[in-house]
Amino acid sequence: MLEHFLGGLAVVMQPLNLLLLISAVFIGFIGGALPGISGVILVVILLPVTYGMEPTTAFMVLTAIYGATVFSGLITAILYRAPGTPEAVMTAFDGYPMTQRGEAGKALGIGVLSSAIGGLVGTVALIIFTPMLAKMALKFSSPEYFALAVLGLTVVASLGGRLIFGLIGAALGLFIATIGIDPLTGTSRFTFGNLNLAEGVGLIPVIVGLFAVSEVMKRTLDHESHQPLKKVKVKIFDLPILRQIGMTLSRSSIIGVIIGILPGIGASTAAMVSYSETVRWSKHPEKFGKGAPEGIAAPESANNAAAMGALVPLFALGIPGSGTTAVILGAFIMHGLQPGPMFMLTSSDLIYAVFAGLFIVNFMILLFSKPFIVLFTKLLNVPYSALGPIIIMCCIVGTYSVRNSMFDVWLMMGFGVLGYLLEKINFPLVSIILGLVLGPIAESELRRTLSMSQGDFSIFLERPISATLLSIAFLLLAVTLITPLIKRARRKTAAT
Amino acid sequence: MVTKHTIKYAALGLAMLGATTGASASDADNFPSKPIQFLVAAGAGGGTDNFARVVRPMFEEAMGGARITVVNLPAASGALAHQRTATSAADGHTLDFASTTLVTSLAAGQNPVGLDQLTPVARMQSDVMALFVNPERFPDFESFVKYAEENPGKVTVGGTHTASPDHVTFLSLRDASGLDMNFIPYDSTGNATANVLGGNIDATTTSLSPLLSYIEAGQMMPILVFSDERLEDYPDVPTTVENNWDLTDGNDRAIFVHADTPAPILQRLEKAFKEVYDSEDYQSYAERVNLDYREGWMGSDEYRQRLENNYELYSRLLQND
Repeated sequence: MLEHFLGGLAVVMQPLNLLLLISAVFIGFIGGALPGISGVILVVILLPVTYGMEPTTAFMVLTAIYGATVFSGLITAILYRAPGTPEAVMTAFDGYPMTQRGEAGKALGIGVLSSAIGGLVGTVALIIFTPMLAKMALKFSSPEYFALAVLGLTVVASLGGRLIFGLIGAALGLFIATIGIDPLTGTSRFTFGNLNLAEGVGLIPVIVGLFAVSEVMKRTLDHESHQPLKKVKVKIFDLPILRQIGMTLSRSSIIGVIIGILPGIGASTAAMVSYSETVRWSKHPEKFGKGAPEGIAAPESANNAAAMGALVPLFALGIPGSGTTAVILGAFIMHGLQPGPMFMLTSSDLIYAVFAGLFIVNFMILLFSKPFIVLFTKLLNVPYSALGPIIIMCCIVGTYSVRNSMFDVWLMMGFGVLGYLLEKINFPLVSIILGLVLGPIAESELRRTLSMSQGDFSIFLERPISATLLSIAFLLLAVTLITPLIKRARRKTAAT
Repeated sequence: MVTKHTIKYAALGLAMLGATTGASASDADNFPSKPIQFLVAAGAGGGTDNFARVVRPMFEEAMGGARITVVNLPAASGALAHQRTATSAADGHTLDFASTTLVTSLAAGQNPVGLDQLTPVARMQSDVMALFVNPERFPDFESFVKYAEENPGKVTVGGTHTASPDHVTFLSLRDASGLDMNFIPYDSTGNATANVLGGNIDATTTSLSPLLSYIEAGQMMPILVFSDERLEDYPDVPTTVENNWDLTDGNDRAIFVHADTPAPILQRLEKAFKEVYDSEDYQSYAERVNLDYREGWMGSDEYRQRLENNYELYSRLLQND
């Protein structure tokens, strides 16, 4: 295996390939940083360009773009609360408050380091475990996915803030997720006969609206004074911070890899689950959402690890683990290659070159992100009266381009207003996103499970993985709900 | 400056003249009189999208140079693309690239644009549908049938979403064979495949080409193909027609236009696509993506007849489901 990897490294180090790889990383940086332009779209746009290349080079370029977009979504998430990619939504929750405190440089540094570490952990897992892990992932079926989604959803209880708001938000997210043609029965739900709603409400219009548009509205309408950011110094290696986030980094990278490997759920879910778990295990859960460094480290290490992990089932089984990998699968087929069980044997040169390329890409992120970020921070000196409209324009173009749909743009604007109003009452927007992303997984997997078992609920307890996950969810929920009650009782006895 | 402006206006005048004559002429000689739009009724990167994008330069050549733009309209299983084609001018400049999903979603009532508003130019691909199992579990179709008969209601077959080509294939098989089986819809072929590989479900009904690598690795096996005759590569796998079930479904990829498109233009388009289909470039593409198991070409009239029959069958099956 090591010699394969070194062989791959030699291919990557050929001058032309290295040059293409660097260009791919920069293209990925730009695409990822622009809201709405996600890895999927970039890969689709650049696919025809790769037809003329050798398959090895083509896939090195495509996967490098993919890795770089997952990273660079954090820049605009932290600086403007406009997540460049869906994977970076969670990063905005703690990154943007840090920017508001004047700690943008620190926040970006944490983001870059976490991304690179997550990406490296993911790549190493990819290199070492691809054949083995892929087999294990097949044991994951509907009951396990349902249990995982439930585990993610229970974190609403520990998010801090008012519990009732958290529940309302999660329910709202779950509701939005039910809109559209039900994939299991084909029944239209809440579409009012409108074809634009038949496919459901996309994640991009909701995220861009709730976060980016609402923030521009807030800054413009409320004339909110903003910490002037004359100079942003990005510090990537900061020992005290590293000590603080070390534990979070290792936990989140592992969570990210595992979730990434599972076919069908991608880096966005990984970022969410690892953020939830970090809040849950933190001694100071109340600090999250207000600029906690761990709140950046968790989603950023997890989403990059998951992005690499999602390539495991693609290479080993021909099953894409996320949206972008599905497009990459299409690209393989266009090049006359068929990823699948035999792929590791028949095309091992190509695969190890791609692995080596990804390995290098993570170092390139560490190396090149700083000058790239500086470009963006320069924009902070532009007066907001000019910057705001530019952000809105990017949001409109980005949202439109996902499905070529003007309807989605209006939807995004609507969610912008909703986000603006909800923030006025300190509503935790994270709970809506939680419901929206995990809801469809929970719902359809529950129903699939019941079709598998002919309606028998005991299937959840008979399968070891789902039983374990569900018991953890139940225990954690019980602990978070009961602990405050005990504390209150103690305080009462102490007072009397 | 003056000359520059004069030239500009002269050019504009000429262009307008060209535009008006182009619009009034309905015969195929002037076709195409403006840029042609390919509406892809599927997301970017999928099979139908790849098909449209591969055909585009070949079609351009066959038309003797035409300007073509490709737009993906995946919303509502492509219904938006069908709708936009049906509401565009009936002049052959808007082409709808769609798969069998057009008819299945129509039969399920999810797509309001029917065959009265759209008509096929041609079918260019037909990926053979088949029933796939893990060969360790079921060595052949007989053992599968035996298991299904002994365990009514227990057999689970996966495929893509409800009213997809996978689903109607399952329904037509269940209808013809009378076996008591359940369908579990997944988000993608990949997920359904993963569940068969992992032993979580019993089988999947889907098209052949995406599963070839599993077949080569011996992890998946077609045990019944929806075809008139046995496939050259799988001489041991029985067909539906052998079982006296008249089911020869494929996952088709075809091109549609507005139903009122004048016949000369329709013929001109059909001729151009036939030229594309017969070209060496196209055939090597079809071979590369494993879509050469069965003749893909079907002309406008013949394909329309087939779609109408399928629509009737699918409507009945989906209503009874």
